[in-house]
Amino acid sequence: MTAPGTAVGSGAGGRLRLPAWLSGRALVTATAVGALLWLAPLVLPLGEYTHNVVGLTFMFMAAALAWNWLGGYVGQISFGHSAMFGVGGFVAARLMLALGLPFWVAWLAGGLAAGGYALLWGHPTLRLRGPYFSIATIGVGEATRLVATYWSAFTGGSSGLSLPLSGGPTKFQLYWYGLYLLSVAVALSYWLRRSPIGLALLAIKEDVEAAGDVGVDATRHQDVVLFLSGTVVGICGGFYASYQAFIDPQDMFSFDRSISFILMGVIGGIGTILGAAAGAVVFVIIQEFLLANYSQLYLGLYGTLLILIILFEPLGLAGLLIRVRKLFGYRPRADVAAGGLRSAAVGVETPGAVEQGVRVEPSEQSEPVERGSGGLEERSGSPPVDRGSS
Amino acid sequence: MGEVLTLAVSAVLLAGFYAAMAYGLGLIYGVLRIVNLAHGGIIMASAYLTWQLFTKLDLDPYLAIPITLVVFFLVGLAIYWCLVRFLPRGSAGAVQSLLLLFGVWLIMRNLAYLLFTGNDQAIRTRYSTASVSILGASYSLNRLVVFGVSMVALIALHLFLTRTYWGKAIRAVGQNRDSCTLVGIDVERVYLLTFGLGTALAGLAGLLASTLFAFNPSFGASELLKSFVIIVLGGLGSVVGIALGAGILAFAEVFSIYVVPSYLTSAVGFVLLVVVLVLRPGGLFGQRVLG
Repeated sequence: MTAPGTAVGSGAGGRLRLPAWLSGRALVTATAVGALLWLAPLVLPLGEYTHNVVGLTFMFMAAALAWNWLGGYVGQISFGHSAMFGVGGFVAARLMLALGLPFWVAWLAGGLAAGGYALLWGHPTLRLRGPYFSIATIGVGEATRLVATYWSAFTGGSSGLSLPLSGGPTKFQLYWYGLYLLSVAVALSYWLRRSPIGLALLAIKEDVEAAGDVGVDATRHQDVVLFLSGTVVGICGGFYASYQAFIDPQDMFSFDRSISFILMGVIGGIGTILGAAAGAVVFVIIQEFLLANYSQLYLGLYGTLLILIILFEPLGLAGLLIRVRKLFGYRPRADVAAGGLRSAAVGVETPGAVEQGVRVEPSEQSEPVERGSGGLEERSGSPPVDRGSS
Repeated sequence: MGEVLTLAVSAVLLAGFYAAMAYGLGLIYGVLRIVNLAHGGIIMASAYLTWQLFTKLDLDPYLAIPITLVVFFLVGLAIYWCLVRFLPRGSAGAVQSLLLLFGVWLIMRNLAYLLFTGNDQAIRTRYSTASVSILGASYSLNRLVVFGVSMVALIALHLFLTRTYWGKAIRAVGQNRDSCTLVGIDVERVYLLTFGLGTALAGLAGLLASTLFAFNPSFGASELLKSFVIIVLGGLGSVVGIALGAGILAFAEVFSIYVVPSYLTSAVGFVLLVVVLVLRPGGLFGQRVLG
């Protein structure tokens, strides 16, 4: 894994061809960061609490990235991802309890169940675009929570489920499993954005009908993204179950949990590749260190944060970063800017001839998108020709 | 047979309330093309206002209607003036406005928790348990009054939208914003007015809901969802469409007790939504509410 990456990175344009979505530099950076994080707890004298929280943060980062595939790449903001989180968690827990499966098999099975569940409700509702999809997902989350709370034979009802004490990984070991989970999510994030699929998703986000006209099968692409997103969030649910060793439906399926995924995405920057991961870090910091003392204020704080970000920096942390780097003459890459909120809403349109002209308006205001939409091919690090042709 | 008839009448009564509840959301969507996610929060806030007026000032809920309308009209103006007007217009700002108004909702919920705790509250008037008998079955007086108030509100709104300058302006902007600018309608003011009206309607719905149901700070989520289902079912643009959508939802919910356990009643709306989306992706009556 490490060796070929280094070879390509240093020997410019070497013989080993990486897939087009993966640049040598990104691979080296990712491997280095991953290795550092892997070794960190062995070297640094982290306290047990910090160690565990960091492990949990890895899981939240993975979940936020997975939410962002749907919310950012496709522009379909889901308010119902707690449903998949809960399904993944409970299926995994039940499998560990009933069959004594190894935890990672149970996580995977839980994740697949969650992905399947996501497809079940998502295939019909993904016909809705923008706000309509979002509201439908509120319904999904609520309905799932209701069923889960009352279906006590499976979820243990309001008294919840306790996981087997032996056999599972300890919280200490979960740090590394969280890291693996995050690595997979990061790799998938890059693949989904930088591969031809990523371009198709952007096209769907900009205009579903136009995407259809150029041969992008919107339904299938959205289904795939939703399945992947649901699966990873489901695995995160399984991880969470192992971490807590006790889960109950009120917590797993709560609306607050869905909100947390949205917040992580919005804080970090909706539609950016790694923004959501950064958002998850901020979210955990807020939750663990600030709100521990002011638990009665958390909804209001999240609401205020949401309003401030939307009004002043819709791209969140990623947008701030771009602003700072622009001061030093940096020109943002096309895919960073195109991932933002701005174009996420197409599909809710009014009929009428004049409207056609109006829709140019938003892109006039936003230079990054303007610059970006012309320069999709000129992304650095990969040959331009590979883009459209597969 | 008698039972079916009784259920049908309760469904009609419920539908009247649902129509008033959904119209505010539909009006704002129809004109501004944004979904007011704070709708549920306004309903909740209005229920608390009514409850406060009732317990502190001993004001009857139905007499508080003018106060509620004015207060929430102003709240709507404030939300629009302070927040929504800074977002891009039309479909370009749809997701932003969604998240923004969601933030407003979260803040409202938090305020309600801080001010009134998370306990369930209910308004009990002298006539809360009174009933009236129609066709041999008895119905709660409250439900009848709520139905009546809803009908009056809808008719008044219909007259306003069809007979007055500003009403016509609102409908015109809903149809084509740019042509309105051409003929000299102050579009920005129409947006402001519409947001205020839609919020006032949500406030009215909250007042009516507070006389029927117990509420807590999380109240409003399923009301928002139901309003949305009604808009998708019935389409926008007419009181008739909203009334049909509300009727369908109310009948489905009321008669679902034959099929599913009662705790799942609130999920019926969602199932209905999915079924409609699968069978008729454009909405029941083809007004293309959906993108």
